[in-house]
Amino acid sequence: MSKIYTDEWYESVKDAINKSASTLKEVPKGKWILVIEIVGDGVSPYVDEGSERHFLVSIEDGKCMWYEEIELGKSLDVKLNYRFRGNAEVFDSIAAGTLDPIDAALGGDIKVKGDMRFLLRQADQVQTLLLAYTKNVETEWPLGKPPYVRKADS
Amino acid sequence: MPETFNYDAIVIGAGHNGLCLGAYLARAGLKTAILERRHEEGGGVNTEEPLLPGYRHNMHAQYMEFFDIMPMFKDFELERIGLRTIMPEAQAGIAFEDGRPPVIIHRPDLLDRTHKSISVYSKSDADMYVELKKRVMSMENLLAVNLYSPPLEGDTQLQGQLIDALLGDLGITADFVMKTPKVVIDELFESTELRALLYRSTVEWGFPVDTACTGAAFLTFIMWTMGNWKMCKGGTHSLAKAMTQACYSAGVDLVESSEVKEIIVENGRATGVKVANGDTFNASKLVASNADLRQTLLDMVGQDNLSPKWVKRAKAFRYGPSHVLGTLTMCLYEAPNYKSAKYDEEINKCFYTLVGFENELDMAQYIRDAYNGHLPKPAAGTWVNSIWDQSQAPPSRHSATGWYFMPPKSALSKEEWEEVRRTYNKKFIDVWQRFAPNMTSDNIIAERVYTPDQMERKNMMMEGDFSNGEFSPDQMGPNRPFPEASSYRTEVEGLYLCGPSAYPGGGVHAACGYNSFKVIANDFSLDTPVVASRGY
Amino acid sequence: MLKEADVIIIGAGHNGLALGCYLQRSGLEVVILERRHEEGGGLTTEELTLPGFLHNVHANYHTFVDLSPPVGDLDLRGHGVKYVRPEVQMASIYEDGSALVVYEDIDKTVESISQFSKKDAETFKKLFTEAHGYVNLLLSTLMFEPPMSVKDLTKALSVFGVNKRSEFLSVKLRRETINDFLNEHFESDKVKAHLAFHGAICGYSNDKVGLAIGFPLLVGKINNWHLSVGGSHRLAHGLWRDFAFHGGVLITDAEVQGIVVDNKKAVGVRLSDGNEIVARKLVASTVSVEQTFLEFLNENEKNEILGNEFVEKVKNVKHQEYSLFSVHLAMKELPNYVASSFNPDVNRAWVVNLGYGSLGDLNNDWRLIKEGRLPTPHPNAAVNSLYDPTDAPEGFYTGLLRQFAPYEVKTGNNSNGGSAEWNVESRHYGESCIRTWNKFAPNVEDSIIEFATYSPHDITEKLPNMVKGDWMMGEITLENMLDVRPTPELGQYRTPIESLYMAGSTQHPHGFITFAPAYNALSIIAEDIGIESWWREV
Repeated sequence: MSKIYTDEWYESVKDAINKSASTLKEVPKGKWILVIEIVGDGVSPYVDEGSERHFLVSIEDGKCMWYEEIELGKSLDVKLNYRFRGNAEVFDSIAAGTLDPIDAALGGDIKVKGDMRFLLRQADQVQTLLLAYTKNVETEWPLGKPPYVRKADS
Repeated sequence: MPETFNYDAIVIGAGHNGLCLGAYLARAGLKTAILERRHEEGGGVNTEEPLLPGYRHNMHAQYMEFFDIMPMFKDFELERIGLRTIMPEAQAGIAFEDGRPPVIIHRPDLLDRTHKSISVYSKSDADMYVELKKRVMSMENLLAVNLYSPPLEGDTQLQGQLIDALLGDLGITADFVMKTPKVVIDELFESTELRALLYRSTVEWGFPVDTACTGAAFLTFIMWTMGNWKMCKGGTHSLAKAMTQACYSAGVDLVESSEVKEIIVENGRATGVKVANGDTFNASKLVASNADLRQTLLDMVGQDNLSPKWVKRAKAFRYGPSHVLGTLTMCLYEAPNYKSAKYDEEINKCFYTLVGFENELDMAQYIRDAYNGHLPKPAAGTWVNSIWDQSQAPPSRHSATGWYFMPPKSALSKEEWEEVRRTYNKKFIDVWQRFAPNMTSDNIIAERVYTPDQMERKNMMMEGDFSNGEFSPDQMGPNRPFPEASSYRTEVEGLYLCGPSAYPGGGVHAACGYNSFKVIANDFSLDTPVVASRGY
Repeated sequence: MLKEADVIIIGAGHNGLALGCYLQRSGLEVVILERRHEEGGGLTTEELTLPGFLHNVHANYHTFVDLSPPVGDLDLRGHGVKYVRPEVQMASIYEDGSALVVYEDIDKTVESISQFSKKDAETFKKLFTEAHGYVNLLLSTLMFEPPMSVKDLTKALSVFGVNKRSEFLSVKLRRETINDFLNEHFESDKVKAHLAFHGAICGYSNDKVGLAIGFPLLVGKINNWHLSVGGSHRLAHGLWRDFAFHGGVLITDAEVQGIVVDNKKAVGVRLSDGNEIVARKLVASTVSVEQTFLEFLNENEKNEILGNEFVEKVKNVKHQEYSLFSVHLAMKELPNYVASSFNPDVNRAWVVNLGYGSLGDLNNDWRLIKEGRLPTPHPNAAVNSLYDPTDAPEGFYTGLLRQFAPYEVKTGNNSNGGSAEWNVESRHYGESCIRTWNKFAPNVEDSIIEFATYSPHDITEKLPNMVKGDWMMGEITLENMLDVRPTPELGQYRTPIESLYMAGSTQHPHGFITFAPAYNALSIIAEDIGIESWWREV
């Protein structure tokens, strides 16, 4: 059990993904760099409203090799393959298992940029990796867990 | 929400002069925008399919005589970027209803054929024509320098001296400058056939045949350009395409559908323009107008920003009646086959063919009718470009275009112009088939006439005047548009003229734009475009 | 004329121009050759009636403005391209004087639909919301990527459980017509008719099995119709400006007569005026497959390189069964619809369907059209001046009637049929379309000062790449979709001739101002010749 968005938590996400990847018969060969952009929306307590947290993730042959949080606005010296961008509440809810990541992507809550054809062709793998992340990581929510009560509602 | 854009230079109008100026300004490093009222660039250099798909018609300008000397042609490599020309051997011909031999002016490199054709009616006319043409062609470079430089003071006197020196031994002396073109033509040539052809060629350029003190225009300008005509492959609009592309490459922002409503004047200086949708285009250095004089000064600058003298001058500027044309457009099954072809088949392959004039009297009457506000009896100068350029009509069909001389727009009522559109082509077809028997209505797939009132609407050629201002001695040379404005500068600092209301006037030479650039280059210390080897 | 370039592109339609821009910006020397005297292809705006009246002769509606990568990548707005998105997008006016109105605002649209059926209004809202949510992701995946196979796509959709997630999108749609889809989900004939009509102007006819698959996506864009200010041709100017600014050369009146092939590789083109231009790297054709493979290659090349089987496929490429007949009008008054008493906003609707009131009405017209008969007009009327006053002189308006019609027409019992019969029939049919309009808006006839007709025959006369009046450049059917459009050999923009690419609307996804064929061909070309794809910045 680790607190969300802490180093331990990322490690457990990484482990969960790699564990699932090792169960796959076929994994897409190659290296991919993704960036995940979590936008503070005033709903999630984990990212300040108006600020953003960006994480760089490296996937090689289906496995997560490394990740790092990157400074906003800093130019990257790596070439990105994908960009996933959405509100913090959306990402939090996925981590909490209350929102299906595919629904989030299909419904436009997470904007995906990059070679979509590849993602569709690797649908099986994508599905497995996403499940690993949402189902196999135990997360602690020190500031509360989604679904969040909105300020306006309370 | 109105927006504001910032530029160094704003050019009003994407006619070919505006395009020329814009390209040079951008090349000189100025951030330049050209604002065009229409949706399409080119102004009078305009080819459309007004009747049926695949049949192209040149709506205004038809033939091109200055490509060899036009600075922009070489400076911007227009040929490399796709501008191609065709120069038909038989250039200008006149056919006759009674089927007698035509008179055909050929290309300058085929003067022997021109001589032979004129000789059918008069050997002395042929000798005179060929000699005059040779003499005038020999001073082409001088004429080119004159064209591509701001007008010289004392122009008339210089013209006289030039004519004396060049043609004095032919009996053509300085006093010819004072004559009307018709008097000059009549004095030099005896055959009614050639006279008719030359009257028409003179007025085609906008020089009125009966106006005194324009005789030099015939001697230098008409004799120079006569038979030097090129066809733009694909239609005259190909020139606009190439010039526009040159502008784009140089970094010009050409903005269509942007009608300039106001030239902004602050403390006597032009600082930008406002367009119809409310947007403002600031100009840190200059505004140049390719629109005609009255629009530029009275409508866009406004009387409040002008001295009383300039207001009077602008109001006194005249449009037409000397260069008001209607364009006929027809889709044909067959190209015309003239009765006169039995003597010389070249008449069927002439670039430009006069139809409807039996003699000089017909021609003079025709011109005088139009000048006096009457619709002349139908007759025309015609082009069937598809004979030479297959791309201008579908396979085995033809595209015919022609010019009627017409009275200025305001001479007829709206209803009368509508009547002209309904009936005039049909009347002309009746005439045409008397000259070329296959030109019956069965040969016409579709037709339309495009009238002076429509030209005004389309291109703001006021009164349908192709020259954007009458050619008469007080509006020519250093007097164009009026003496104080003949340097392309205006009394509003930073405002320049670059269209055909300025010297030298209408026609596709881009000299108004080029000369205007020379003046601007001088005023803003830009690199001069003058190339030593060409001398201008 | 220049003698060589890295890349030669045949055709200066929006696809050819956009491909040229990208490649020129990538540092290649590109020349675009256009047969006509004007660039733009379907992006053509002309004064067909009277000076000052701008008529969009072909493309009038732009629905992918915000989705097409080139609009941003090439900074088209910076090049003077401007769009308006009409507040009242579309309407259907029915025989009984009622009217359904589609607004930019979807809640208002739902309200209008609820005048016909509360249930349909709810369904529409759900369908729109769902489709609108996934439309961007799916369109960018399906349209702006080289196509995958229907099989791969189906598999992906099923792995991702789209059936379960979506109420409307389902794998079974590939066996259904739009009629089936509408009958399943909607109850009101009028609502169904409007939605089917909207599909049909997008090229998706409601009677074709399989087209239901794309239908939810169309609904997701139903309020996204844009008008190009100053005419559709303005977009062509913007593209050309970008192209030339970066050093590209567009040559008009340059009719390609042949592609020069050396050792099974395209190495240049020959023009009908005798000029030849060498292509150092590649030739890309954006014109029809018929022109590219049957006209531009000689018999020897056809036999030796293409082979008979491929040639036959090209000859048999199918074209849309219906074309468009247009009446362009210069008017002195805006139409005042009788139905404005039902809903005053119909007078502000950009595009109005006049009279299709049920799926049966549409089906009936498709049947007649397939027989080469002229349907009793149910034109749709667009008045661009409502939202772009610059397209007509002050105080006047530009109108456009569009009627679904056959390319080859049989006008009477003695008629042999053929597209040229339009030359006889056009004016008459145009008047008939105007009378229909006048029935719905009785001031129309008196307000017309001039009109010009433009028939399916004229479409092909002007733009021969639109074979048989087919402005989609290839039928939209399930059998001609994705990676088998226009033939399996050509599905990935490559051709049997090395260094010859297809990059026009013959390719996936189809015609319309999407830029997608060029954009996808660009991906393939970039891969083949090794260009760093600056435009795919993630």
